[in-house]
Amino acid sequence: MMDLPNMVDAETLLAVDVGSVHTRASLFDVVDNQYRLVATGRSLSTATTPLLDISEGVRMAMDQIQTITGRRLLDEQDGLIMPSSSQGAGVDVFVATSSAGPRLRAVLVGLTPGVSLESGRRLATSSYLDVVEEIGLADRRREDERIDLILAARPDLILIVGGTDGGADESVLRLVEGVALAAGLRPAGHAPRVLYAGNRQLGAAIVERFADQSSVSLAPNVRPSLENEDLTSARNRMAEVIADLRSSKISGFDLVRQWSGGYVMLTADAFGRVIRHLSQTYEPRRGVLGVDLGASQTTIAAAFGGDLRLTVRTDLGLGAPLPSLLRTASMESITRWLPSDIADDVVRDYIFNKSLQPQTIPMEKDELHLEFALARQLLQTALGLARSGWPKGKNGRGSLLPPMEPILAGGGVLSRAPRPGYAALALLDSLQPTGITTLVLDPYGLTPALGAAAAVIPMVAVQVLESGSYVSLGTVVSPLGGGRTGRPVARVKLEREGQAALEGEVRLGQLVVLPLPQGEVGRLTLRPERGFDVGFGAYGKAGTLKVTGGAVGLIIDARGRPLALPKDAGRRRELNQKWLIDIGALQ
Amino acid sequence: MKSAYLPPVLHVTPMTIVRRDRTLPVPGTVTARLNERVQAVDVIAEAETAPRHVFLDLARGLGVPAKEAPSHLVRQKGDRVEAGDTIAGPVGMARRTVRAPADGRVVAIEGHRVLFEVRGEPIGLRAGMPALVVGSDGTQTVTLEVTAALVQGVWGNGKQDFGVIRTLGSGPGARMQTDMLDINLRGAVLIGGTCDQAAPLHQATELMVRGIVLGSITSDLIPAAQRLNYPLMITEGFGVLPMNSAAYGLLTSNVGRDVAIDARPPADRYSYQRPEIIIPQPPSRQADFPEEIIPLKEGARVRILRAPFHGAVGVVRDLPNKAADFPSGLLARSANVEIEGLGNRMIPLANLEVIQ
Repeated sequence: MMDLPNMVDAETLLAVDVGSVHTRASLFDVVDNQYRLVATGRSLSTATTPLLDISEGVRMAMDQIQTITGRRLLDEQDGLIMPSSSQGAGVDVFVATSSAGPRLRAVLVGLTPGVSLESGRRLATSSYLDVVEEIGLADRRREDERIDLILAARPDLILIVGGTDGGADESVLRLVEGVALAAGLRPAGHAPRVLYAGNRQLGAAIVERFADQSSVSLAPNVRPSLENEDLTSARNRMAEVIADLRSSKISGFDLVRQWSGGYVMLTADAFGRVIRHLSQTYEPRRGVLGVDLGASQTTIAAAFGGDLRLTVRTDLGLGAPLPSLLRTASMESITRWLPSDIADDVVRDYIFNKSLQPQTIPMEKDELHLEFALARQLLQTALGLARSGWPKGKNGRGSLLPPMEPILAGGGVLSRAPRPGYAALALLDSLQPTGITTLVLDPYGLTPALGAAAAVIPMVAVQVLESGSYVSLGTVVSPLGGGRTGRPVARVKLEREGQAALEGEVRLGQLVVLPLPQGEVGRLTLRPERGFDVGFGAYGKAGTLKVTGGAVGLIIDARGRPLALPKDAGRRRELNQKWLIDIGALQ
Repeated sequence: MKSAYLPPVLHVTPMTIVRRDRTLPVPGTVTARLNERVQAVDVIAEAETAPRHVFLDLARGLGVPAKEAPSHLVRQKGDRVEAGDTIAGPVGMARRTVRAPADGRVVAIEGHRVLFEVRGEPIGLRAGMPALVVGSDGTQTVTLEVTAALVQGVWGNGKQDFGVIRTLGSGPGARMQTDMLDINLRGAVLIGGTCDQAAPLHQATELMVRGIVLGSITSDLIPAAQRLNYPLMITEGFGVLPMNSAAYGLLTSNVGRDVAIDARPPADRYSYQRPEIIIPQPPSRQADFPEEIIPLKEGARVRILRAPFHGAVGVVRDLPNKAADFPSGLLARSANVEIEGLGNRMIPLANLEVIQ
C-alpha cells in the first residue's frame, strides 16, 4: 500500500471514475482556500472487450486533462506523478471509483423470509449483484434439488445471512451444509466466493465448512437482532469482495489501486456516501435523494438523517440491460412520456438497438425524446423498487415521494441534455417530488469522485458541491391536493432584488416557470387555497421562503401528485409537448 | 494511444487469420490433438450435460442406525458406478443394499448420506469450421485457427452451422418473403436483406437451411428467431435496415463457397465476441491477424450505428476539434464522414465503428 499524502499539504486532487461505457477523470485544486473543479476528461472505457483493461481508458481521460490544463499528470513511463512537483506537475491525492465489470451472479442464502432474507436481499441490491437464486429455511425444495439449482445458477458469489448474534446456529449450519456441497461441485477454478454476514458466533464454523472449496469473507451480521438491521458494515466488506471479483476478470485495477493508495471504491458506494453526507448537513426533517441513471445500472440513494438506503438495479439501465425494462414496464408506460407519435414497434427496435450499442447518442429529435421517455420510465421503475422501507409520503400515501431536499441527479442522458429543461422535466415526471425541493444536476459525473475523495479530504465534497460545478436546475414547488383541472391552487409572489415582483395565480394542471437564474436569490410567498399543501407543513398553510435560482428557473409544478396523464394518446402527446415548452426544453 | 479515440472495430475482411476458442459448457475431455487439421463437423471435445444430484440415505436404505451406516459403504467418493451397482451393503438377513439409481458417480459422503451424481447426456463440441488445432487446455477449450474471409454482425440466435453460401432476394435491402425460398436453397447458408415476419424464417426450417444472414429483423421476431434450429445472424440491428454494403459485397462475392456461421448472441461487453461468418480461404502469406484496436483517424472506413444513417458505410474525411450540433439539440465531438451515395455528413464519434 502506498502512504496517503499528508492531508495538510494536499492540494491537487485527481479523481477517476471507470464506468462500463465511459471513464471520467476530474482534477480539483485549491482556489481561494476552497476546492474547485479545474478540468474534466472523458474517454470511452477500455474495461470492455477487446482491451479488458481499465488503465488505458484512465490514461486517455487523464491525457485530456493534461491537454486542457497544460498540467503534466503522467511521467515518461505513463505513471502518475504524485505528489505534485514545485513545477506544477502531478497531483497530491488520487482517488478512484468503478462501476465497470460484468454482472456478478449471486445466490442468496438466509433463514427467515421476512427477516434475514429480506436484509440479505437489501444488501445484495445495494451493489452490483444480480441475485439469481434464493434459498431459505422455508424453501420446500429438496436439499439435492437445491444443490442442482446452485450449480445451474453458476454463482460468482454466495451471500449467506441468517441468525441473530448469539441466536440460531443449528439451522444456519444445516442450510450451509448443502450450499458448501454445491460449491465444492463446481469445476476447479470456478468455485464461488462466499460472503457470510450472519450470526457472528458462526463465522469460524462457516470458514471451516468451505475450507478447501471457496474463499470465505466474513462481514458483520446484517441482522444482529430481530429488531435491528445494519447493512453499512457488511456493505463495505461486500464492496471489497465485488472489487476483487471484478479485478479478477478485468485488468488494470492493480495499477489504479496502487495510485489510489490501495483502494478503488465502488461508484454506487461513493455516490451513496455523498447523499448520506448531505442528509447530515441539510435539514434533518427531510430526506436527500440521489439518482444516477447509467448505461449498465440505475442507482437510487436516499438518506434520512444519515440513514442511507442504497439500491443498485443492474437490470435497469440505458444500455445493455434496457430490454429488461419491457419485463417490468408495459410499452404504454414508456410511450406515455412521448411528445410525438412514435409507433410501438419503432420503440421496441430502438430499445434492442440501444442495448447493442449503448455508447451511441441520438442525432434526431424523435430519438432524443424516446431516450428521455425511457429515462423517465427507468427512473420511475427503479424508484418504485427501491422505496421499500422508506418513510411514507405526505399523509402516509405510499405512492408519493416523502419530502426530499435536495434531489441530486446524474447519468449520461440527463447530464448531456441539450437544454436543462429536458433533465428537469424528466426528473419531475419520473420522481414526482412533493412540497419544496431543489433539483441539482451533476453534469460532469463528479458525485462518485467526491464520495471517494471525502474519505481522504473531508472538506472537498462540501466545497465542490457548493461551487458552480453542479447545475442547480431550480427550486421546485409541487403542491399536493386534488380537484378539477383549472382549479386555483395558490397565489404566488416572487420578489427579486432590483426587479419588479412577479405575482399571479397558479391553477391545477399548470407547469409554471418563473425567471430566477442560477446564482440569484428571491423571496417566494405562497398562499395556497384550502385543500392544497405547498410544502409548509399543512394544507392551506401560507408562508414565505428564500429561494435560489437555477438553470431552468423557479418551477411550480401544479400538475398534481401523483401525476395523472390523459388517457387519450393525442391529448397526452400535446401535453407532453406543452410541458417541454413551458419548462424551456423546446421553443 | 493517448488522446486517440478508440471506437469499436467491426471486421469485414476478405483475408485474415481467424483464431477462435471453442469451449464446452462444462469441463470434459478434449479429443482433438494439437496441430491436427479438423473439419467443421468433427467433434473436438466431449462432456456430459449438467448432471442431476440425489441424496441416498444409507441408514434408511440399509435399515441400520445412522452412526453404523457409513461402515457398510462399498464405494468411495469419486467412484463411477452403473445403474443397479451396490453402493452400500448387503446388511442383515435380508441382505439389504443401497444401489445406484442410475449410471453416475459418488460425489460426496456426508455421514449416513451419499450425494450421488446422475450422469448427464453426452455432448460433443464440433469444430464448426475447417481449421488447425493450435491450442487446448485439455478439458474444456480448444483453440482453432484458419485463414479466412471474416464478416461480423451484431446479434445472433446462439446457433452454429456450416454450409454453402447462397443469396436470397436481390440486394442488401431485399425483404425476406416465403416465395423466395425454394428447393434450390436447401441446406445452404442464405444471405438476405431484412425480415419483418416470422413465416419465411419458419419456412426456411423446412428447407433445412444451415443458416441465414440478414441486415436486420424486427425486434418482435427475437423470440421466434431464438427458437429456430438453424443459426440466424444480423449485421446491422433491429428494424428494417439493409445489410451494410461492405458485408453484403464480401458475402455475395463468395457465393458457392463453404462458410461457417457462428450466430453467437451478444453476452456482455466483457466477454463479447461478435456473431460472425468465417469463409475459409487457402492459406496465404499475406494473411495476418485482424487488429482489434484501431484509433479513429482520417481515411478510416467506418459504419454508422444509429439513425438517420444506421448501417451506412463511409470514410472519415475530417475530425474537427470543435463539437458539432445535431437536430436533436445535442453537441458532440464528430467526424465528417463521406457516406457512400450520400456525400459528406457530420456524425458523432460515439455513433461510429471502424470497419477493418
